[in-house]
Amino acid sequence: MTALEFHGVSVRLGRGRRAVTVVDDVTLTVPSGGVTGLVGESGCGKTTLARAAVGLVPLSGGAIHPRSRVQLVFQDPYSSLDPRMTVGAAIAEALPRRTRSDEVSRLLDLVGLDPALAVRLPRHLSGGQRQRVALARALTARPEVVIADEITSALDVSVQGLVLNLVREIQRELGLTMLFISHNLAVVRYVSDHVAVMRAGRIVESGPVEQVLSEPADAYTRTLLAAVPTLRSAPGA
Amino acid sequence: MLRIAALLSLLFLLFLTGLGPIIWGDDALAIDTAALAQGASAAHPMGTDGLGRDVLARIMVASRLTVGLALLTTAIAVAGGLVLGGLPAVLGPRAGRLINGFVGLVVAFPGLLIALVLAVVFGSGGTAAALAIGVASIPSFARLTQTLAASVAGRDFIAAARVLGVGRVRMLYRHILPNIAEPLVVQATLGAGGALLAFAALSFLGLGVQSPGYDWGVLLNEGLNRVYINPAAALGPGLAVVLAGLAFNVMGEYAAQAFGGRSRVIRTRGRSSRPAPGPALRVRDLTVRYGDAVPVKGVSFEVVPGERVGIVGESGSGKSLTALAVSGLVEPPGQVSGDIEAAETAMVFQDPMTSLNPALRIATQLAEVATTHEGMSRRAARSLAVTRLTDVHIAQAARVVRQYPHELSGGMRQRAMIAMGLMGTPRLIIADEPTTALDVTVQKQILDLLREVSTTTGAAIVLVSHDLAVVGQLCSRVLVMYAGVIVEDLPVSRLTAEPDAGDGPAHPYTRALLAAVPDLTADRSRPLATIPGRMPSPLDVTGGCPFAPRCPRADSRCHAETPAFDGAVACWHPHTTEHVLKEESR
Repeated sequence: MTALEFHGVSVRLGRGRRAVTVVDDVTLTVPSGGVTGLVGESGCGKTTLARAAVGLVPLSGGAIHPRSRVQLVFQDPYSSLDPRMTVGAAIAEALPRRTRSDEVSRLLDLVGLDPALAVRLPRHLSGGQRQRVALARALTARPEVVIADEITSALDVSVQGLVLNLVREIQRELGLTMLFISHNLAVVRYVSDHVAVMRAGRIVESGPVEQVLSEPADAYTRTLLAAVPTLRSAPGA
Repeated sequence: MLRIAALLSLLFLLFLTGLGPIIWGDDALAIDTAALAQGASAAHPMGTDGLGRDVLARIMVASRLTVGLALLTTAIAVAGGLVLGGLPAVLGPRAGRLINGFVGLVVAFPGLLIALVLAVVFGSGGTAAALAIGVASIPSFARLTQTLAASVAGRDFIAAARVLGVGRVRMLYRHILPNIAEPLVVQATLGAGGALLAFAALSFLGLGVQSPGYDWGVLLNEGLNRVYINPAAALGPGLAVVLAGLAFNVMGEYAAQAFGGRSRVIRTRGRSSRPAPGPALRVRDLTVRYGDAVPVKGVSFEVVPGERVGIVGESGSGKSLTALAVSGLVEPPGQVSGDIEAAETAMVFQDPMTSLNPALRIATQLAEVATTHEGMSRRAARSLAVTRLTDVHIAQAARVVRQYPHELSGGMRQRAMIAMGLMGTPRLIIADEPTTALDVTVQKQILDLLREVSTTTGAAIVLVSHDLAVVGQLCSRVLVMYAGVIVEDLPVSRLTAEPDAGDGPAHPYTRALLAAVPDLTADRSRPLATIPGRMPSPLDVTGGCPFAPRCPRADSRCHAETPAFDGAVACWHPHTTEHVLKEESR
């Protein structure tokens, strides 16, 4: 397996004078077979970084390695599947023709779905099921690196647990290198070994997840941590 | 109604084009030298032409050629439009821009003008004219295809397919075209009507079908020469053009309705505003129906002034619909029944970008509340708007009121939305997932603001959220909803208590929901707690407790009998203090 490496990556969006630097000189390594969480607020550039890694956004500086066998799982399972395509067809799309039906069944089974669901359209599936289909679809390309971009933020808590457990299981089973993007610190802490905190296009802090969350060095990380709503210390109580 | 009209139109066109030439074919050619250029008579209802041929028969026979040419024209326009409009998606951004620019340029010319020029270039005759009108209609169709394709191209599933390595051509026919087919079909049907009209116009001008062939345009031309002698000969073809054009349009309208899912409006009211005093909100047996589906099944609760109540549940639990019903905002075909007595209400929505009007300045939107509801003067309302924005801690409120919603950040917009609610004197604020679209740091600020507003104005708050932690942060009492009913009503202190200490929530669902939330102290080595199975759909008629199939404590009684809500919990086997003690002593 390969590590996912960002070397001084910058992304500018827009043209001419109105161009904005969305990702600013990011250097980050996701160790081979490990999970690195990426946290930050909306607009900080984490999604752009993910899209740059799979080539959906051009780089304006720096380099990303590897450039192939990287797959992205999108935030919204309601929009990342073609509404007119059955689950089976969506998964089969990137597979060689000969092995299709076996492989579709195997992948559906891998993400804990009944292979009989292959003939259904996405609208007949729940959000959690759709997100599992999206994951199965990303795995068809036999990726070495998977980027998960806020994959549970559109899901209910009860379903979020299922998807997170599945992601952890599959990542370990296949030895995937994973960049796990989320704004939810509790979710990131649960899934990741390392964590990087992003603000305004830059990485402000990174390190082992327990260390960063228990002894944050950066003021912004502390602000983020303080804002996490928790039930145990609810002021309303 | 429209469906019948569309069906009749289709039958009418099929009848004319299919049977017209067969029935009237001979009459249309029969030359009657005894009746040259006559007016209407019993033998010839619309008179005869210069050679004594029956005009009515000729109109009927001409319908096949006319409608056929209109369809050919539309086919040319659609095929050309799809190719030209789809090319940018296939060729990539640079060539795409070039084509888009070209299409934009051509669209700027009137279609009929281009058709006239092309008709001259292509020469006379029916097919040449069809080509001319067809080609002239390509640009507008291409423009539509391209705009629709661009709107689909921005969606995630296209990006997902690209990452998977799906090629551009396949992308076009497999992903883009199926998703834009509906509006294109509608446009094509409407376009056929337009083509029919344009064709009649060209033939009338002598640029279309040439003698001895004839279509309605040619007949109209012939008839018009003698309009004062025999008006029917001119009116007949004209009427035929109008009817056929209408038939196409009615079919297009029907297609649009069938695809677009437009529906008629049915309004039922189940809400009354009631002046103070008394509870801020009293809901009795609230039920919301959509046809056979019943997403809210008899919900009753009360909120006293100043109280902050959270409604939590998964998507599909009916929590948002309950909030909407309370505000009188359930859209048809939804039907609301039950009693709702609410004090003056303000509503805060999930997405402040869509709930503020993007075309109006903040001041205008805020002032409107006070001018319409309180009869305040515009100047007074404006200064009140500035005061209220300051109240919700917007710095430089005097500057912000002059801005448009898109110039504000998400958190600022949500503050403006709350300020808008405060323009009146609400005694109840209903907030439906007010922080879901916001970042954690901003979320905290908005929750703090809502608490402050409630404390200073005495307004009650109903907060709808899927996030137990958010509810725990703001509220003092929580209603837990599942499959359209309230399953538990408990103080937040019980929600936050250690469940093992015998003081946690009573309903197994509430406990399961709590356990599923990862917090910063969760054990990373163990899998997260989940709730197996899924919530029954609003269509299901469930006997027994709706949560029974997923419940670890369920027994045969739970599957057979529905537990009634006793004011605290709806469960046959709730976790109670005694129960826990009993288990511990075992």
